[in-house]
Amino acid sequence: MKFGISAAALLAASLAFSNAAKAEDTLSPLHWQSQGNFGSYDKAALQRGFLVYQTVCASCHSANALHYRDLTALGFSPDQVAAIASNVKLADGSQASMDDNFKNPFPDSQVAAKAFGGAIPPDLSTLVAAHPRGTQYIYSLLTGYQAAPSDVNVMANHYYNVAYPGNQIAMPAPLKDDMVTYADGTKATTAQEASDVAAFLTWASHPNLDARKQIGLRAVIFLIFLSVLAIANKRKIWSGVV
Amino acid sequence: MANTATHTASDEVEAPAKRDFLKILTVSAGAVALGATAWPLIDAMNPTVSELAVAKPIVNVGGIAPNTALRIMWLGQPIYIRKLTPQQIADNQFIVPDTLPDPASYTDRVKPGYETFVVVVGLNTGISCELLGNSPSDARGPFDGWSCPCDGSIYDPLGRVRSGPARKNLAIPRFTFLNDTQIQFG
Amino acid sequence: MSDQTKSWLETRLPLASSMQSCIWNMKMAVEKPYLAALGSLITATLIFLTLSGFVLSLFYVAAPGAAFDSIQFISRNVDNGWLVRSFHATGATMLFAATYLVVFRTLLTGGYRAPNELTWILKLVFLGLVLIIGYFGYAMADGAVSYWSLHETTVAGARLTSFPGAISNWVFGGPAGPGTLGRVAVLHSALALLGFGVLALHLAAKRAVAPVPTKTVTLHPYYTSHHFVAFAVFALIFAVLVFFAPHWGENQLNLAAANPLVVPAVLTPPWYLLPVSAFAAASSSPLGSIFLVLAGFAVLFAAPWLDQSKGTKPGLFYKILVAVLALDVFGLCMAQADGPSMLSSILSTIFIGWYFLHFLVLSPLATAMESKK
Ligand code: HEC
Repeated sequence: MKFGISAAALLAASLAFSNAAKAEDTLSPLHWQSQGNFGSYDKAALQRGFLVYQTVCASCHSANALHYRDLTALGFSPDQVAAIASNVKLADGSQASMDDNFKNPFPDSQVAAKAFGGAIPPDLSTLVAAHPRGTQYIYSLLTGYQAAPSDVNVMANHYYNVAYPGNQIAMPAPLKDDMVTYADGTKATTAQEASDVAAFLTWASHPNLDARKQIGLRAVIFLIFLSVLAIANKRKIWSGVV
Repeated sequence: MANTATHTASDEVEAPAKRDFLKILTVSAGAVALGATAWPLIDAMNPTVSELAVAKPIVNVGGIAPNTALRIMWLGQPIYIRKLTPQQIADNQFIVPDTLPDPASYTDRVKPGYETFVVVVGLNTGISCELLGNSPSDARGPFDGWSCPCDGSIYDPLGRVRSGPARKNLAIPRFTFLNDTQIQFG
Repeated sequence: MSDQTKSWLETRLPLASSMQSCIWNMKMAVEKPYLAALGSLITATLIFLTLSGFVLSLFYVAAPGAAFDSIQFISRNVDNGWLVRSFHATGATMLFAATYLVVFRTLLTGGYRAPNELTWILKLVFLGLVLIIGYFGYAMADGAVSYWSLHETTVAGARLTSFPGAISNWVFGGPAGPGTLGRVAVLHSALALLGFGVLALHLAAKRAVAPVPTKTVTLHPYYTSHHFVAFAVFALIFAVLVFFAPHWGENQLNLAAANPLVVPAVLTPPWYLLPVSAFAAASSSPLGSIFLVLAGFAVLFAAPWLDQSKGTKPGLFYKILVAVLALDVFGLCMAQADGPSMLSSILSTIFIGWYFLHFLVLSPLATAMESKK
C-alpha cells in the first residue's frame, strides 16, 4: 500500500508540473508548445525554424546527427524534402540526397577555428538537450546582442551578448529582421526568427518528444490500472490469511 | 513425485467464479505489459533506415543520355548503368547466343519493360580491372561496348564478352526498376 | 500441448512437477512487507538491463567520438532505439535505487547481524559490482563530461605505481586511448553477468540462515500475487521516469559530444555514482582517493563486527542514527553535485567525517547501550 501511495504522489507531482494548455509557440509571453508533460511540437514553427536554420545558421554550424530525410517529421512532404536536399551542394560538388547527413560547412574544426579567431561554432544537433535552459537559452542568445556598456572592453572578433556566459561571443549577431521570407506569411522579426529556430533546434535535440509523451501517457495510465488490479487480486487471495 | 499441494490458507472457501475473473484479468494485463515492453527491444533489431539506404540505394536513371552510362559505387564496386541506342539494340538483338563465348540472349541481359537499360558491374571478368566505355569518346572496342585497359578483353553494349582473355559476361547486380526513372539496388 | 505429450515429457523431464514442489509450493513466512520484493525486483531489473544492453550493443561503436555518434544513431535512426536507450539508462537508475534501498533497509533493521553476515557482505559485493558497471556504462556514453572523467581516471591510474597502477592498466589499457572504450564495454557486460552469480549466491545464503517461520503460506498464489503488486508499482515508477524524465539524475552536459580541447569545469557523474565520487574527491591524491573509497566500503563490510548488540532488536536511537546517516550521505551527494568550491569541500569533510563516526563510534555505542537495557 505504502508503495502505491508514494507512486501516486510521484505521478500527481509530475502531472502537476505539466502545462495542460496546448497553445501555439508564442512570443509574448514567451512559450513553446513542446514544453510541459503534454506539450507537442508546433509543426508550423518547426518549418519556419528550419528555414531560418538553413538560410542562416547552416553556413557556420553543423548538425551532424540529422539527415535530410528526418525533415519529413516537420510535416514536409517527401518531395519537398528531396527538393531541400537537392538544393544543398556537398563538398565534392554533388547534390545532397535524402539520406545524407546535414552538411558540415567546414571540412574540420580546425578550419572553422581559423575562420573565427579560434572559436568553433558548435554542432547544433544536441545543443538544446545539453544546455540547462535549452530552448529558452537559444532564444535569449539570439536576441541578446546589445551595444557593449562603455566600461566593457570587447575583445577582437567578439560581440557583446547579455545571454552568453562572460558576455563576449565570437558569433556575430546572426539574425536581423526579414532575413527570411516565411511561406505562411508570418512576419519575420528578429524575435520571431529566434523563437522559430529555437523550436527547430529543440526538435533537433529531441526528435522523439511527441512519440515519447504520447506513448508515455498511455503506458502510465495502463500501469496505474495494472497496479490497481494487482492490489485487488492480492487482497482477494490473501483475504483468508490472517 | 510428491505432488500434494499444501494449502495452508482457506482458498477453497472463496467464490471461484469471481476470483478467477480477477485473476485472469490481472494475469492478462501483466502479459500485455510484458509484451509491450519486449516489443521495442525486438523491433530495434530490425535493419535501420540508414543501413537500408546504404544496402539498398535508389538511383535516378532518368537523366542518362542514350549511348552513355552512369557510374555509381555500390558496396564497394563500380556499377555501370547504360542507356542503349536503337542502333546498339539492333546490332545485338538477333545474335545467336551459342556463337558467343558465354552464351546469353538480349532478353537475358535486360529487364522486361525497360529494355533500353543495361546494368552491370563494371569490372573485367578476366583480370579485375575497371572497364572503359561509359562515354562515347572512351575506347569501346569494335562492338561499341566496353574494353578492358589491362588485358584487352572486349565486351558488347549488353556486357557480353566478345573476345578474351576474359571468358565470362559482366556480372549483373541485384536490382529492380521502381518506375521509369528509378532503380533500387539490393 | 496434449495431455499425452505432457505426460510423455513429464516422465522424461519432470519440469512441471519439480517446479510445483520446489518453487510454487515453497513455504514462505506470512506478513512480509512489500519491500521484501526488492530482491526479485533487482534480479528482474538486471535481466531487463541485460536484454536492453544486448540490443544497444548491436549498434554501439566502442571508440572515442564514434561511441557518442553511435548512441545518437541509436536514438534517432534505430526503430524504437530512443526507447531502448531510455529503458537502459532508466533501468540503471532503478537498479541503483533498489540496491541502495536494500542496503539502507538492512542497516535500519539490523539485517546484517549474525547469522546474516554473509548475506550482508554479498549485498555489498553486489553494490560494489554495480557501481563499477555503472561507471563503465557512464564512460561508454562518451559525452562531454564522461569522456573527460574517463580520461582523468585513467591518467591518474596509469601514474600509480605497483599493484594499483597495474590494475588500472589491465582494465583501461593505460591512459584513455583508442582501445580503452572497447575494454570498458566488454567489462561492462561481462561484470553484469557476474552480477547474476552474486545474486544467486546471495539467495542461497539467505535461504540457509532464514529463521524457520511459525506460520507459512505457499509461494503461489500468495507471494506471486504479493510480488506482482510490487512489480506493477515498480513498473509504474519506471514508466514515469522513462517517458517524462528520461534523463533524470544524469548530468545534462553529458548529452553533448566531447570536445577534446575543452575540459568541462565540473565533472559531475550521474546521481548513483555521486557517493563514490564524493569520497574520491575528498582527497587530492589518487592514492588518497582510492584509500577513502575503500575505507568507506570497509566500514560497511565491518558493520556486523562493529555492532555490539547481542541478539536484541535495533532500538529507536539506533534507527534514528541510521536515518541521520542516510541524510548525511544525501547531503554529501548534494555537496558534490555542484562541483568543487570552498563550501562544498568543508561540507564534504564534515559529512564524510560523520559517516566514519557513525560506523566506528556512534553505532557501536548505540547498539551496546540498547543491548544492556
Ligand atoms: C557567421 C557564422 C555563424 C552563424 C551564421 C551562426 N553562428 Fe552560432 N556560432 C558561431 C561561432 C563562431 C560560435 C562560437 C562562439 C564562441 O565560442 O564564442 C557560435 C556559437 C553558437 C552557439 C553556442 C553558444 C554557447 O553557449 O556556447 C549557439 C547556440 C549558436 N551559435 C546558435 C546559432 C544559431 C541558432 C544560428 C542561426 C540563427 C547561428 N548560431 C548562426 C558562428 C555562427
